Amino acid sequence: MFKLFQLAPRLGTLASRCESYPIKFLRPFSVSPANRLKEIREVNDGKNITIEGVYVDLPKADKVLKVVAENPNSCSICSLGLEVKHTDVLILSQFVRPDGCMLPRRITGLCRKQQKRIGTMVTMAQRAGLMSNLNPTYSKKDPEKRGQWKKFKSYYDESTIGQRKPPKPEYKWIWKKRNFYEKV
Amino acid sequence: MTALQRVQQWASFARVWHLFDARWQNPFDSGVLIAKHLKGLQKPLYSEQSLCGDHVVVINCRHIALPGNEWRKRVFFHHQTYPGTATWTPAWEMHTRDPTMVMKKAVYTSMHGNLLRRHNMMRLHLYADEEVDPEVAARVTNVIRQLRPIPERLDLMEKEKVDSFPQIADLNKDYVIPELKEYPNWESQHQKMKRQGKKSKSSAK
Repeated sequence: MFKLFQLAPRLGTLASRCESYPIKFLRPFSVSPANRLKEIREVNDGKNITIEGVYVDLPKADKVLKVVAENPNSCSICSLGLEVKHTDVLILSQFVRPDGCMLPRRITGLCRKQQKRIGTMVTMAQRAGLMSNLNPTYSKKDPEKRGQWKKFKSYYDESTIGQRKPPKPEYKWIWKKRNFYEKV
Repeated sequence: MTALQRVQQWASFARVWHLFDARWQNPFDSGVLIAKHLKGLQKPLYSEQSLCGDHVVVINCRHIALPGNEWRKRVFFHHQTYPGTATWTPAWEMHTRDPTMVMKKAVYTSMHGNLLRRHNMMRLHLYADEEVDPEVAARVTNVIRQLRPIPERLDLMEKEKVDSFPQIADLNKDYVIPELKEYPNWESQHQKMKRQGKKSKSSAK
């Protein structure tokens, strides 16, 4: 018997918005959002299966960085005013699920530009082998166990994010002892 | 010659042995720096023909880092002078065969192709890991500073450091933490048949 149906009605919002729970016919209530994250836990007693929604505290709720930004509507990364690099794993890992996937934009709360940028940098960090504990269950977890070129170390240039091709430099014919094209 | 003059003479003309740790460094950028020390360009009494260069011991050559997809794109050309013997080896293949080769070629190509190059290269000592010959290690007196900072791996970080870092991500509270799917150990078709003791079609023929 599913315990979810017996719980308070405000959990209707929970069940209707949850991603992994299949039941969709619960009516969404317009209730102010609760102040904590939600987790669905399944307990199998052998006779009964109880699926219940549990409130879970935010990770590091006491260490949330409060930044006084110029623009109060800016996202959490824009308000920092820092150049985040692909080696800043402690920042990037906060926007990543435990199996290595990026969280969607409606959850991270980042602006479109930063969401794409952070997403690309997470890919860079994963390819460099810097976040091997945030990997799916079937992964080898050790970057040196990968095959061929993937086991060797690599680093990335953040200035190439968003670029499709490198910009073409402007060349001009300059008369010198040895005639050649020189970059102006 | 006084004692002071003797000391001055030794200090200015003695050959110095430098150490360079190539872990997480780009070999081509650091090759330029190493070549400078091999030629002796850092000395005020530098002269090309006097071969006043120093020795450089490079350790951790196995752990060099290349940017982006350069492990696949960077190729090393070799020709045996017989027709059809031109080979283009990608950097990762070269590195698996000999871990010091990429670093050696990086230093070699950063120098001018004159007759002094081979002489200067003889003063370069490359080691794949941190194990160095004791005779070489006893002579090392200086360390060359690395060019690139070494990144930290999240799985190897201390727990205190990870926990004390501030929470920058302002996650939306209406988020349900998804259940992580546990996939069984993935094995390829070949591995599966090997485990079952079956022979593949190609080997049967």
